[in-house]
Amino acid sequence: MPYLRRQLQGIVPYFLAGLAIIVVWQGAIEILHPSAAILPTPGATASTLWNLIATGELFTHVFASLSRVLLAWALAAVVAIPLGLIQGSNRRFESVFDPVVELFRPISPLAWIPLAILWFGIGESGKIFIIFIATFFPILLNTVSGVKSVDPVMIRAGRILGCDTSFKLFAKVILPAAMPTILVGLRIAFGTGWAAIIAAELVAAQEGLGFLISDGMEILRSDLVLAGMVVIGILGVMIDSVFRLAGRKVNWGAQP
Amino acid sequence: MNRVFDKAESSAKGILIKNVSKVFFPANDDPVEALKPVNLDIAPGEFVAVIGPSGCGKSTLLNIVAGFEKATAGSVLVDGLRVEKPDIDRGMVFQQYALFPWLNVQQNVEFGLKQMKVPPEERQEIVSSFLKLVGLSDFANARIDSLSGGMKQRVALARVFCTNPSVILMDEPFGALDALTRSMLQKELLSIWQEYEKTVMLITHSVQEALVLANRIVVITSRPGKVKLNTKVDLPYPRDPKSAEFRELESEILEQLTDEIAKSYGGNSKVLIAD
Repeated sequence: MPYLRRQLQGIVPYFLAGLAIIVVWQGAIEILHPSAAILPTPGATASTLWNLIATGELFTHVFASLSRVLLAWALAAVVAIPLGLIQGSNRRFESVFDPVVELFRPISPLAWIPLAILWFGIGESGKIFIIFIATFFPILLNTVSGVKSVDPVMIRAGRILGCDTSFKLFAKVILPAAMPTILVGLRIAFGTGWAAIIAAELVAAQEGLGFLISDGMEILRSDLVLAGMVVIGILGVMIDSVFRLAGRKVNWGAQP
Repeated sequence: MNRVFDKAESSAKGILIKNVSKVFFPANDDPVEALKPVNLDIAPGEFVAVIGPSGCGKSTLLNIVAGFEKATAGSVLVDGLRVEKPDIDRGMVFQQYALFPWLNVQQNVEFGLKQMKVPPEERQEIVSSFLKLVGLSDFANARIDSLSGGMKQRVALARVFCTNPSVILMDEPFGALDALTRSMLQKELLSIWQEYEKTVMLITHSVQEALVLANRIVVITSRPGKVKLNTKVDLPYPRDPKSAEFRELESEILEQLTDEIAKSYGGNSKVLIAD
């Protein structure tokens, strides 16, 4: 019971934040009286959202976006974790690879849209590619720092306790020691990937929360835009807490 | 010399430190001489405490014996074999415990045995007998971060003794513990050592700890370190720090150390070791 209570208490700040946003939002409308096309009321947005839920349309969008992010994120993990493990443990590799990473990292996923279209066309793979770019770097950088920050005394202990090859040392000591940091990277990456769905679905998408927003913009339905934003925000928080929970189960390290 | 016997340079058991010296070469700085040639024999079953002012190179010496660092010159033989790299035959207890937090107590103790490919049933038996020995039978499934410092170091002692190494190296093992826990662990270590008759090389900065535990005390000079005093301690165990003989020896060694500390501060100020 105390566990459930703590979980519920965790929701309270988000609930209050939501309430505060609605108050400010409604207040702005009372003072500025903007047209509904510029800023719809919270009430209008809520009823649009309810319509989306009632017709089931929302779930199609959520499912489309979520599966894109999940696939791209998993692909990024498969590529970035091994690369990060090598970069974190091999200085020569790092001296070559790190500058490349640092040059690519500041480039926003948005900037890759033209190339994504040229390379992958307007199908699904271009969208996956955009999210892949967004999720790749957090996973890579956290894996590298996880490997590098393994306490040297752990490595000594592993060596004198019979890890006589670098492979054994890596599998038995370095990888488990770096795991909490790698998991944090995976969690952060899912967040950045989720934030990148707008960019990914900007081009020729038929469904998805990003599509909902850009479509709403084109047909001047700002209530649709806001409904999409609300769903992205709420789902983002929910996914993050699922990750934290899962992390606490498998993770020996203290969760940040 | 016959190449076949190159590795076994001596049939002597125990630890043989022959002319071991160490110079560090920092990247952008002048070389630092950490150890002048050090000679030290530790017989099987002996408990030797190495004391010296901080920064005297005593830990460097231990790391060379462990195989973590290479000597600039000289060699270390353990049971007649030259030390080249770390080996499970030389156990080590670290000041920072160095337990693996992703494993529970039981798994930490069994780590070395697993690497040695001891079959699971036998492993289980060994681990539970050593957990019993250090009084942690009820904590086999506990997480490491739920343990106190004293309990952690008990796990580390069980981990090192259960692989039955020929020598055990200890780098200020109780340095991070409070006085009460420290003296309890010293007693436990003594009884384990007496039961298993292991060769122990202990690094400490506490004269009292050295006198409670060791049957020989080696004082290392301030940097560059070399052996200044190498004396047997014949007091019977368990030793009473309040006894006259104990105190006499203590002040004798303290005097030697005080000179060294004064030297390492570059002056003639009489700095006493508070411990």
